[in-house]
Amino acid sequence: MSKSYRDGLPISPEKFVDQLMRLKRGSISRRDFLGLTGLGVATAVMARELGIMPTPAFGAENLGDRMSIATWPNYHDPQTFENFKAETGVAVEVNVFGSNEEMLAKLQAGGSGWSLFVPTNYTISTYKKLGIIEPLDMAKLGNFDGSKEDARFTAEGTIDGTIYAVPKNWGTTGFAVNTKKLAKPMSSWKEFWDTAMAEGDGRTMVHDYQLTTIGNALKYHGYSFNSLKQDELAKAEELLLKVKPHLFAVSSDYQPSMRSGDAWMTMCWTNDGAQLHRDIPEIAYVLGKEGGEIWTDFYAIPKDAPNKPAGYALLNYLMNPKVAVKEHLANGAPSTDARVNALLPKEVLENPILYPAAELLKPLEFGAAATLTDPGRAELMARFKAA
Amino acid sequence: MSQGTNSGQVLTAGGQRSAGAEAAFSMRGRFLRKNLLTALLLAPATLWLVVFLVLPFVAIAVFSVGERAPEGGYQAAFTFAQYANLPARATAFWNTMMLAPVGALACLLVGYPVAYYLALRAPQRWRLILLALIVIPFWTSLLMRTYAWMYILGGRGIPALLAYIGIEDLRLINTPGAVLLGIVYGYLPLMILPIYVSLERLDRRLLEASADLGATPLSTFLGVTLRLSLPGVMTGFSLVMILLLGEYLIPTLLGGGKVFFIGNALVDLFLQSRNWPFGSAIAITLVLVSVVVLIIANRISTRLSGARRVDLI
Amino acid sequence: MRAFVVAVFAFLYLPIALVVLFSFNAGHHASEFTGFSEQWYGKALSNPFLVEALKNSLFIATTSALLAAFCGTAAALGLQRVGARTRGVFDALLGAAIVVPGVVIGISTLVALVQLFAVVNPFLASVWPTDQPPRLALGYGSIIAAHGLFSMALVTMIVGTRLSSLDRNLVEASSDLYATPLTTFRSIVLPQIMPAVIAGFLLAFTFSFDDFIIAFFVAGAQTTLPIYVFASIRRGVTPEINAIATIVLAASVLLVLLAQWQLGRRKPSP
Repeated sequence: MSKSYRDGLPISPEKFVDQLMRLKRGSISRRDFLGLTGLGVATAVMARELGIMPTPAFGAENLGDRMSIATWPNYHDPQTFENFKAETGVAVEVNVFGSNEEMLAKLQAGGSGWSLFVPTNYTISTYKKLGIIEPLDMAKLGNFDGSKEDARFTAEGTIDGTIYAVPKNWGTTGFAVNTKKLAKPMSSWKEFWDTAMAEGDGRTMVHDYQLTTIGNALKYHGYSFNSLKQDELAKAEELLLKVKPHLFAVSSDYQPSMRSGDAWMTMCWTNDGAQLHRDIPEIAYVLGKEGGEIWTDFYAIPKDAPNKPAGYALLNYLMNPKVAVKEHLANGAPSTDARVNALLPKEVLENPILYPAAELLKPLEFGAAATLTDPGRAELMARFKAA
Repeated sequence: MSQGTNSGQVLTAGGQRSAGAEAAFSMRGRFLRKNLLTALLLAPATLWLVVFLVLPFVAIAVFSVGERAPEGGYQAAFTFAQYANLPARATAFWNTMMLAPVGALACLLVGYPVAYYLALRAPQRWRLILLALIVIPFWTSLLMRTYAWMYILGGRGIPALLAYIGIEDLRLINTPGAVLLGIVYGYLPLMILPIYVSLERLDRRLLEASADLGATPLSTFLGVTLRLSLPGVMTGFSLVMILLLGEYLIPTLLGGGKVFFIGNALVDLFLQSRNWPFGSAIAITLVLVSVVVLIIANRISTRLSGARRVDLI
Repeated sequence: MRAFVVAVFAFLYLPIALVVLFSFNAGHHASEFTGFSEQWYGKALSNPFLVEALKNSLFIATTSALLAAFCGTAAALGLQRVGARTRGVFDALLGAAIVVPGVVIGISTLVALVQLFAVVNPFLASVWPTDQPPRLALGYGSIIAAHGLFSMALVTMIVGTRLSSLDRNLVEASSDLYATPLTTFRSIVLPQIMPAVIAGFLLAFTFSFDDFIIAFFVAGAQTTLPIYVFASIRRGVTPEINAIATIVLAASVLLVLLAQWQLGRRKPSP
């Protein structure tokens, strides 16, 4: 054990730092170089052992050896986290949630243990108001380029000129149908709910998420997806209670049930729709013609994050277009980043699940901040589940 | 029955031993020592009960008369609005009150013969191993085993096998039946163990005597075995039933949010809709229901077994 | 009857067999068996989150069960020595500790501790001489205490039941024969209640090791094995989880065999 670990390294730490500094000024991407040579691991080890911190990417700070992220079901390429671990030595624990309310509840109770999480556009203002998330230190996010982001989707991450969250991807909320089991063509939320009580009896799933489940029930009657009006919500509740006995499950993780054939139809996000259709072609993704939700998911860092350095390091890593493109290929949701789109293959950019026709996109609404905290919608959803 | 008399008896027994002039003094010292010892024996449990049972109960009692804060959580107030809203969870209460006794009964029907076999029929040298085999599954995560049931009952499990023989599109998962199966599976050992303990203690000579007196095996079973094992049955039954009143996992995993227990409603109120005061009111109500269930169970089991208590140290 | 018992054992072990089978799955999912591989054992044991969760669970279960067995037995003995009034209060509290559902224990402990910490932590910070005052937070302590509450009440009940059925004549005889109370306790009472204490300990350990719902609320940022498994079910179980479950199972079977062998050596069966 007396042998120093330095003996095994190909170059001395001094020389290594030197080389890194030179690389920093050079045109070649540092990350590509590190990834290519496997030096990333060595950097991380040395940064930890020696306290040297030559690059903002691996931070002047100690990244620790683990962190946890809160995100959505089937939302990342597991390989991304493996690669991140290989480069930085930080193991990432992935916790998945089925609704923004669930994430909010966990953060409100304190001690969530997350160093990074994935909130949806309309929640960010509330998180800021409650003091749960912190303004992002953009100096640590060198890979993010705001000028390349599609402003249609990314505005809600910035509040009063301060960036609290950076975008991951955007998408829509429609429904997925196993066309072998339910052959009748469908194109509206009205058909979704009616089919759930008829041919899709016992085989239909809805989200365990008030925004979409109540919102799409509101659409049945043609009301706004975000309605807070008592009488409109009452009509939505009536429909939901009528449908409840016919459902297969109330859950936001519907992929396993759709894949195993237990469920034939489900409320569905773009990314899941794309993944299901890719693996099982008879599963189609449908947008209700009455409208529904369009959304952007963001990355944010909780104020009480136990490992902020690692949270920033992972976020910066994910903002690298070369990494992000793999995420998009695995996850299936469309990117907001022009640099990523430039790297995506043509068939992805032409996939109608990801990029629906303009007339389908037009009636869609972004979630409204008030729906997150509205007691009426929260209790309606809870009553529906308990019914 | 009374504890005081029993203490007195032992004291007297001791007193007889230390005869003569020292008797009074010795008895006094003994009395003090005895009280100190009693206090020491009870102190840790008392502390535990106060800090982690009484205090939390007071906390949710206070919360239950509060209001939901605008962004969710708790806000101080004094209102009974939460209790007035209880009927909004009537279905969940109903599901729980129905499935808990049914589940406990199912456990009893499956568990009693097993306990009986283990205690009275199994060869002596196998008994411990069989008992261990009952307990071992519970050292593998219940979650993991319930997950296995999700697979067995799910589309790739039994329904897929049945499809081979032409029974198509059968749905087992996310039904009350699946939840009941999960309940029996999960709580069976809690039923078997107390029944086993009460049967194992049973004096076998009673069974022989009963047989010698010409009783049929059935009447021996009903008159002796079953009667004497009733305390165990009651313990098992109330244990299972009470745990079921707060069940969350099994309905979550095998009921798919469709078979909703009051435990699910509670978790939902704290982890999704963030209505802590209403959640607290439901928690208090659930506790009261549980207490009533326990009191009834206790009444029955006291009537069934009039055991004497003895002084032990 | 035998056939029925065999069937029940099959019922108990069918899911376990599946868990074990899938731990050797070559594929990535715990739902489709695609070939044999033992890679997941290595992966499980090198997954820092999983290993930490397992260690936490072992530590918490052992500590809370030991505390519960000790305090519960003491309480059961103490309760034999008090008046009917005290006894009534205790019985009610212990009964409550058992009947209050785990989900309520978890929620109410969380609520109470969060409030308590909100008062205690600023106070500690104000009186502490250095800049780094201790901060109370949810974690091991709160899980052990919340698990131990139920376990202790259970032990008290089990041992109490055993005590109440103890042959009182033996105790009196022992006293009559001039045994000291301690001797009577050691040679008459203890041997008779020991099986109950051990049963109580095992139940307490099992309960704590397997509990999800209480820990779910009071664990703070700590993870126990059930919490980890629950999170895994939501994100998609990999055979890693099956591997760790199989290891735990194998260890417990080994322990039982060891205990059996020990018992067999001490008193050979006739």
